[in-house]
Amino acid sequence: MAQLLLDSVSKTYRPRGKEPVQAVKRVSLDVKDGEIVALLGSSGCGKTSMLRMIAGFEDVTEGAIRIGGREIHLLPPAQRDVAMAFEGYSLYPPLKVRENIGFALLRERGASADIEKRVTHIADLLEITDILDRYPTVISAGQQQRTSLARALIRRAPVSLLDEPMSQLEPQLRAILRARLKDYLIEHKMTTVFVTHDQTEAIALADRIAVMEKGELQQFGTPAEIKQSPSNLFVASFIGEPPMNIFDAAIASEAGATAISGLGPNGQPAFRIQAPAAEAGNAARVRLGIRPHLIEIGANESADATGKVITNHWLGDQSHICFEIGGCSVVGVTDKPIEAQAGDALPVRFPLGAVHLFDAESGRALAHGLGRRS
Amino acid sequence: MTSLELRNVSKGFKSGKVLEDVSLSVNAGEIVVVFGPSGTGKTVLLRIVAGVQDPDTGSVAIDGEDVTDASPEARNVGMAFQNFALFPHFSTFDNIASPLAARETPAAKLKDQVGAIARMLKIDHVLGHAPRELSNGQKQRTALARALVAQPKVLLLDDPLRNVDAKLRYEMRLELPRLLRTFNAAVIYVTQDYKEAMALGDHIAVLRNGRIEQWAAPTTVYREPVSVEVARLFGDPTINLLPCKLEGDHVTLFGRLVPISGAYAHAAGRDLIAGLRPEHVVVTEAEAPGAIAFELDAVMPVNVRSVLYLRGAGGEELLATVGESEAAKFGRGHRKVWVRFDPRDLLLFDATSGQRIAPQVH
Repeated sequence: MAQLLLDSVSKTYRPRGKEPVQAVKRVSLDVKDGEIVALLGSSGCGKTSMLRMIAGFEDVTEGAIRIGGREIHLLPPAQRDVAMAFEGYSLYPPLKVRENIGFALLRERGASADIEKRVTHIADLLEITDILDRYPTVISAGQQQRTSLARALIRRAPVSLLDEPMSQLEPQLRAILRARLKDYLIEHKMTTVFVTHDQTEAIALADRIAVMEKGELQQFGTPAEIKQSPSNLFVASFIGEPPMNIFDAAIASEAGATAISGLGPNGQPAFRIQAPAAEAGNAARVRLGIRPHLIEIGANESADATGKVITNHWLGDQSHICFEIGGCSVVGVTDKPIEAQAGDALPVRFPLGAVHLFDAESGRALAHGLGRRS
Repeated sequence: MTSLELRNVSKGFKSGKVLEDVSLSVNAGEIVVVFGPSGTGKTVLLRIVAGVQDPDTGSVAIDGEDVTDASPEARNVGMAFQNFALFPHFSTFDNIASPLAARETPAAKLKDQVGAIARMLKIDHVLGHAPRELSNGQKQRTALARALVAQPKVLLLDDPLRNVDAKLRYEMRLELPRLLRTFNAAVIYVTQDYKEAMALGDHIAVLRNGRIEQWAAPTTVYREPVSVEVARLFGDPTINLLPCKLEGDHVTLFGRLVPISGAYAHAAGRDLIAGLRPEHVVVTEAEAPGAIAFELDAVMPVNVRSVLYLRGAGGEELLATVGESEAAKFGRGHRKVWVRFDPRDLLLFDATSGQRIAPQVH
């Protein structure tokens, strides 16, 4: 539909009698035509301020926003070519669900048969067909949210902005509605920016994710890039469920190789990993990260350590095992059930390619993968 | 040994029946998860065990002794709630100590016991804080400590992880079994999260519309759900449900004849719903023998796997889960792919009653 550009955008709130708050700090984003982008972060990270600046409900303190090359950040919301689904739904109470959804198309004086067809289609997609003739006040919060989403999606505007679009969904509908939503956005080549605090939603729907924290853009990349090469500890621990295992670690060079020791709670070495060469610069102290599903558990001749099983949970299609190595608590995930009970000892291997190193002070990433074991 | 036993408990309010003929037993040291969507009577069940509410009919026994008419204080039951329910004007210490203080425990003993449980739950550094100064995670640990401090025979946990963030919830899911084991109490744990239910429960009671619809070990609930509704509640993404009819020894799915084992011959001629879990659907780029053509319409990564959104020639929707590396080759979707599955992985349900059809082994 259209390209969306944020050029070094900042937002400062100046509450009367209080210190100014810089909610968004010089964020630049380039959302390609037809791309789906997630703004991901915890509450207060600035993601909703960004969305509201694009929509025109907040002034831009500094910087510029362009849609399809046209500078829009000084225009009133209605002239910006954006459609927005609000987190608070903001439905028109005197209008039926059907009329709420078709409102923008009616205002543009579209042919009524065509509008009816599009309303039916989007309602089917979001499973709200049976409430089309009801009023917003008598439907559930989840249904209101889907109505608000339908009202934004039906317009196929040059840029669509969705604020926590699926937070109220019952779990049984989540996967299928995400699927249909993604299919719809791709089919109509809709440039979309959505805000979420839920990393699974961001990963499932987005082509690229902008991870925000304290008003700053931490990383902007595809889900795979963010999972495989997180730019810092914040991104690494925010993405992934269960979260990445992170340990304090010490690095030492030994005869042309590098030994990395994971440290227990009192600083004592808990396990050792041998890497071919120093790849973490000169840092002696680092943080070591490894994702739970990349840890190899069970029979293995080249085990790095022995883990004592604390809990072993089979969830129907995956196992979550928590074990202890020298005082470090480690979580592993496997596709197959593992026969082990609390107290059993299991060999554990940390594949070098899956080890991330971060600067202990700044949290900045130093290395993703340590090359092959020779 | 059975520590807690509910027999034929029913309870109704003006608005209707909330619990109907609920029986369950919990051994000392065992965790029974009561699982169900909101409004199914889970909390009422806990209130009846705690003695805060009386059942209309049925009985509650603790350690073999009927306590149906006993007061809450006389039951030795600990309870923690999803909204924490801490006394706002009490410190963490006083909140935890409140069940002991109510029993007039000597001060020195009280201090020891509160200190021990606070250390175990890693909140000993905030004992002087008021609830409003605590994080949600610390509030929840305080509520747990208060429930555990008097070493109750029966522990009732009402969705205790509901209001803590995902990371803490996950950590507690790993920590709780070990913690609870040391107390040897009979635990009833209420949750709406199926992963929590499977991880924590020795047994699961699936409660729907006031009745126990299924009572089984977690893996049994997942593999052999008694009904379509139970199958839908366990699993993420939700199980695929495909209407079909058993004709002779086959059903027709996606325009193909799919052979069905003779163990289901007794259901011949009936309208069925076939359940197929997303992890049992195999998707390939190349045509394979017996594979069915589908359109791949969207690829949704989830952690280490991806969910594929597929549509059949007749518009049928199907979700499949595949490994991360496999998913990479499908790109953004909108292409033709080939789908296979093993008919033995199908769960068959009666289309009218929703009940699962059990295979008959001769």
